[in-house]
Amino acid sequence: MFAYIVRRMFQSVIVLLVVGLVAFSMFRFVGDPIDNMLGQERTQADIDRLRTELGLDQPFVVQYAKFLQGAVQGNFGVSYRQGRPVSTILVERAPATLELAFVSGFLAITMGIALGVFTAIRRQGIAANVIMTVSLIGVSLPTFLIGILLIYVFSVELDLLPSFGRGETVMIGSWSTGFLTASGLKALILPAITLGLYQMTLIMRLVRSEMLEVLRADYVRFARARGLSDRVINFRHALKNTLVPVITITGLQLGSIIAFAIITETVFQWPGVGLLFINAIQFVDIPVMAAYLMLISVMFVTINLIVDLLYYAIDPRLRVDARAT
Amino acid sequence: MILRNSAVGLAMLLAGTAQAAEFKWASTTDPQTMDPHAVNSAPVLGFLNNVYEGLVRRGKDMSVEPALAISWEPIGEGDGWRFKLREDVTFHDGSGFDARDVLFSYQRASGEAADTRSWFAPVSDVVVVDDYTIDIMTTAPNPLFPSSIANWMIMDQDWTEANDAVVPDKEVGNYATINTNGTGAFKVTEREPGLKSVLEPHDGWWGEVEHNITRAEFNPIQNPATAVAALLSGDVDMINPVPIQDVARLQQSGEVDVIQGIEARVIMLGFDHEAEVLKYTDDAGKPNPFRDARVRKAVAQAVNVDAILATILRGNAEAASQLVSPSMSGYSKANAERPAYDVEAAKALLAEAGYADGFSFGLKCPNDRYLNDEAVCQAIVGMLAQIGVSAELDAMPVRNYWPELREDNYDMYLLGWSPGTFDAEHPVRFLVATLNEEKKLGSWNFGGFSNPRVDELLPAIQSELDQAKRQAMLDEVAAIIQDEQVYVPMYVQPLVWGAQSNVEVTQRPDNFFLLRWVTVN
Amino acid sequence: MTETMETPKAAPKSRMAKFWDSDFAWSFRHSPVAVIASLFVVMLVLVALFAPLIAPHNPFDPATLNLMNGFTPPGTPNAFTQESFLLGTDDQGRDVFSTILYGLRISLFVGASAVLLALIIGVVLGLIAAYFGGWIETLIMRIADVQLTFPAILVAMLIFGIAKGITPPEYRNEMAIYVLIIAIALSDWVQFARVVRGAALVEKNKEYVQAARLIGRGSFPIMFRHILPNVLSPVLVIATISLALAIIAEATLSFLGVGAPPTQPSLGTLIRIGQGYLFSGEWWILFFPACTLLALALSVNLLGDWLRDALNPKLR
Repeated sequence: MFAYIVRRMFQSVIVLLVVGLVAFSMFRFVGDPIDNMLGQERTQADIDRLRTELGLDQPFVVQYAKFLQGAVQGNFGVSYRQGRPVSTILVERAPATLELAFVSGFLAITMGIALGVFTAIRRQGIAANVIMTVSLIGVSLPTFLIGILLIYVFSVELDLLPSFGRGETVMIGSWSTGFLTASGLKALILPAITLGLYQMTLIMRLVRSEMLEVLRADYVRFARARGLSDRVINFRHALKNTLVPVITITGLQLGSIIAFAIITETVFQWPGVGLLFINAIQFVDIPVMAAYLMLISVMFVTINLIVDLLYYAIDPRLRVDARAT
Repeated sequence: MILRNSAVGLAMLLAGTAQAAEFKWASTTDPQTMDPHAVNSAPVLGFLNNVYEGLVRRGKDMSVEPALAISWEPIGEGDGWRFKLREDVTFHDGSGFDARDVLFSYQRASGEAADTRSWFAPVSDVVVVDDYTIDIMTTAPNPLFPSSIANWMIMDQDWTEANDAVVPDKEVGNYATINTNGTGAFKVTEREPGLKSVLEPHDGWWGEVEHNITRAEFNPIQNPATAVAALLSGDVDMINPVPIQDVARLQQSGEVDVIQGIEARVIMLGFDHEAEVLKYTDDAGKPNPFRDARVRKAVAQAVNVDAILATILRGNAEAASQLVSPSMSGYSKANAERPAYDVEAAKALLAEAGYADGFSFGLKCPNDRYLNDEAVCQAIVGMLAQIGVSAELDAMPVRNYWPELREDNYDMYLLGWSPGTFDAEHPVRFLVATLNEEKKLGSWNFGGFSNPRVDELLPAIQSELDQAKRQAMLDEVAAIIQDEQVYVPMYVQPLVWGAQSNVEVTQRPDNFFLLRWVTVN
Repeated sequence: MTETMETPKAAPKSRMAKFWDSDFAWSFRHSPVAVIASLFVVMLVLVALFAPLIAPHNPFDPATLNLMNGFTPPGTPNAFTQESFLLGTDDQGRDVFSTILYGLRISLFVGASAVLLALIIGVVLGLIAAYFGGWIETLIMRIADVQLTFPAILVAMLIFGIAKGITPPEYRNEMAIYVLIIAIALSDWVQFARVVRGAALVEKNKEYVQAARLIGRGSFPIMFRHILPNVLSPVLVIATISLALAIIAEATLSFLGVGAPPTQPSLGTLIRIGQGYLFSGEWWILFFPACTLLALALSVNLLGDWLRDALNPKLR
C-alpha cells in the first residue's frame, strides 16, 4: 500500500511537470502580451526591449525552467497585467470560486438526489417524465446562454437579483466571504444555478438509474416480501446503496465544476479564478495562466489519486493490478 | 461634444447644492496600473485623469485649460515654454506641490522605462526657475507642446521616493502600480485590480467642485450583455460603452439615457503597399494588385459606407474622408469629399488596372477591438464580392492581431486610429510617414507606404508656428493621401454611453470619463 | 448457412423480423419519447443534408448578400429593400432560416466527427490500457490526467495556434472547422477511455477471454473481436450524450472567441451573434437558432436516455 502511494505520488509529480511543459509550449500560440503592455506610441525598439526583459525572446523550455525555479520556492512570478505577485492574486480570487463551486455543488447534489429518487420511484408517472425531459433543457443549451437568459429574466425584467458581481463581502482573515451579507447571498443565486444545472441533471440521472437497478435487486424484493413499507425500502435500503457510485462520480465532477466556472464567471462578472484566467488569456498574462493551470492540475491529480486509493481500499481485485503496475 | 454641461449648470443653479450621492460605473476594461507613466493607454489615462493632474488639462470641449499651471508663455523665438505653477495645491496625502515635483515627474515620465516618453521627444531640458516657475526647453519651435502634455500627470517626489517607485515598472510593478497620490479631485481609497476601485473626493482640491459625489465605485464588466443588464436593473449608474444595437431599446426604457458623441477614432482599411505578391487564398503568389492605386480606389468606391452606418452602426457614426475626424485640429476642409459608392466605377477601375475578372485575397480583422469590427469586416467581404473581388476574412482577437500585422501577414486589414494629440499631424507621423526607427516615424505604417513629399512636409508641419502655412501643408498631405488612396477611411467611431436618467455626465471625444462633471439628482 | 440457401427469400425478411421482435426494438416501439426524438433527429439530419435544396438563399455566398436587408423582422418586409424573410435576417442581411439550415450542417458535422474521433481515440487507448496493464496503462491514464487539466478552450487555442503555424495561409479558413473537431475530440476522449478501461478490466478476466488466449489468439484480435463488443453498450450511451455536448461545446467555444468563421457560421456561432441582440429587440436572431439547437440537443439526449435504459440488462 505504502509503495503504491509513493509510486502514485511520483507519477503525479511527473504529470504536473508535463502539464507545465505543455502549457509553456502553447503560450506563444495564445498571442503576444507585448501590445497590451505598451501604448499606441511604442516603437519597434520598445517592443524588442520589453520582450527581452520579460524573457519572451528565449525558447519556451528556458522560460519553463525559469518558471519552475520560482515555483518550487512558491514564487509564481508577477502578473503582466496587474504588476502584482500571482500568488497574491490567486489567494484573493480563490474564495469567490470556491464559494460558488460549493453552493452550486450543494444545490446539484441535494436537488439531483431528490429528483433522482422521485423519478426512479415514479418511473412511469407523468411528473417524473416531465422532470426528466425538462431537466434536459438545462444541458441542451450552452451555459453562457442560460446565464444570460437568467440575468435577463431575474435581474432586468423582474429586478429581483443582481446582474453581476459578488455583492458585499466580509473579510475573515484573508478569506473574503459572501455568505454573511444579504447582497452576497443574493448575488450567489443566479451563478450557482447556472453552474450547478449541468451537474444536477447528471446526478439526477445517475441516482435514478442506480435506484432502478437496486429496486430490482433480490434483497429489495425480499424486503418487500417481508412487508416493509415502501418508504423504508426506498430510503433505508435503496438510496443508501445508490450513494456510493454517486459520491464517486460527484467527486470527479468537482473538477468540471471548476472548469465550467470559467464560463459562468465570465457571464456574471464573478470575481473568481475562472474570470482571472479568461482575463489572463485575453491579455496573454503568461504567469497567471501558468499558475492557474498548475493549480488546476494539482487539484485534478489529487482528486484522481484519492479516488484511485479509495477504489484500492474497497475493491480487492484491483490490488493485484496495482502490484503489477 | 458638450452634451449636458448647460443642463448641469442649470441643475446646480436651481438646486443650489444638489444632494450628495454615491455613484457606480462600469466599463469593459480595468485600468491595468495606477501608475500614470507606466502605460500610455486610454483606459489607464482616462481613469487616472480623475486622480492625477497635469500642468494643463482639457475642458469639456477638449480645449486646453490651466490645471497645475495657471499660465504659460513661449520663451524667446520658440526655444521652449515657461509655465507659472499654481500655489496652495496639495497632494492627497496633504503634502504640498511645487516645481520640484514637476521636474521629478518630467524625469520619471521621460525615462527609459516610461511608456509616455515619446511625449517628451521634442524636449531638450527642463529648468526650475523658482518654486512656482518652470521652463521646458524644446529642440525646435513647438507650438503644440502645451496641448500635447495634457495627460502628463504630476506625481509627488517625496511620496514616490519614499515608496521606492522612482522608476515606473510595468513588468513586475511597484508601490505606484496599486497606490496613488495625486492632486486630482478624487483619491483612490480602495483598489482591487480587475474587480473594483473606490474613489472619494479630495477635500483639499484647489478647483471648484461641480459634482455631488461622496463615493464612486468602478467595476469592470467584460461581457457587453451583462453590462447592459446591470444598467437596466439599476446595479450601476453608468456604463461605457453601450453596444450600438442596444441604443434604441435603452432610449425607450425611460429610466436610462444614452449619451452619444463622435469619438476621435477613424476606422479605415489598410493595404500591403510593399509586398510583390498576394499571400492568401488561391491567388497567393500572384502579383499584389493593391500596389496599384486604381485597385485601392476601386476598393474605396465598392465599400458602401452609408449602408454600414445605417445597419451595423445604426446611424450612430459619421462617414470619414480622411485620417482624422472634422473635430480635430488640422482637419483638411479642402479634402472633405470621400469617394462615392459606385459599383460600376469600381469595376471600371479594376478593369483599367487589368483585373477585370477580379481576384481573391486575405482580409485580416480584429474581433474585439473596435465597435462591431467583425460585422463591419463581414459586410466589406460582401461588398467587395459585388465587384468580383473575393476576400477571405480572418477575424481574430487583438492579442493575435497586432503580431500578425507586424509580421506582414495580411493582404488588406482593418485599423482604427485615434490621434493622441487631437491633431491631423499625428496619423501622418504614425501611419503614413516612411518607417524610420531612429526618428520614431511610421511605427504603425504596416503596409510600408512611402512618399518623399509627405516625408519632406512632416518635419515642416511639426515646427511651423504660422497656422495658415501649417494648414496649407496639412491640406497638401491630405490630398496626397486621398490621391494615392493610401488607406480607405470609412467612418468615425461613435461614443455611446448609457446612464440612469437621474445622472448627468459629460462626454468628451477622447472617451475619458471624469467624475468631477457628474451630478446625481 | 444451408438453411438460408434453402429459403433465400425468407432470410432478409426474417432478419428484419428478428430485429423487430428483439427486446431492443420492442422497447423502442413502446417508448413514445424515443420514437419522437429519433424522428426529430432524422428530420434535422435530413434538413441539414439537403440544405442547399431547401434553403431559399445561400448564406455562405457573400456576393448574394445585401447589407441593407439586415435586421429584417420575421415575415415583415424590410424597410429599405421591401424583401421579406420567413424567419427574418441577421446583422449581415442573411436569411435566418437559410443560415440555420447551413449552420446545422456545420454543427452536425463538427459534433459527429468530434465524437467519432474521441470515441476511436478513447476506445483504443482504453482497451490497450486495460488489456496490457503495467507501464502502458500507467502512461495512458496519466496522459488522461494531463488532458483533464486543460479546459477545452485552451486545447482549442493550442490547436488553432499550431495549425496556424503549420498550414499554408491560403487554407486557414477551411482549417478552422477541422481544428474545432480535433479540439473538442481531444477534450472528450478521456471519458471514453476511462469507461472502456473500467469495463474491459472486468471482461479481461472472464472465461471467454482466457479461452481465446489459450487457443493462441493474438492480443489485438482478442481486444477488438472479443472484448470490444462486450463493452460497447456504455460507449454507445456516452457517444450519444457526447454528441449533444459536442454541439454545445462548439457554441461555447464560439462565445469565447474560437469558433467557426463568421462568414460560414455554425449554429453555435449564430447563437453567439444572436445573444448580442437579446436586449435590443431583434429576438429572432437568437431565438430561432437557439430553438433549433435545443430541439437537436434535447432529442439526442432523450435518445441517449432511452438507450441507457434499453441497454441496461439489469432493468429488463
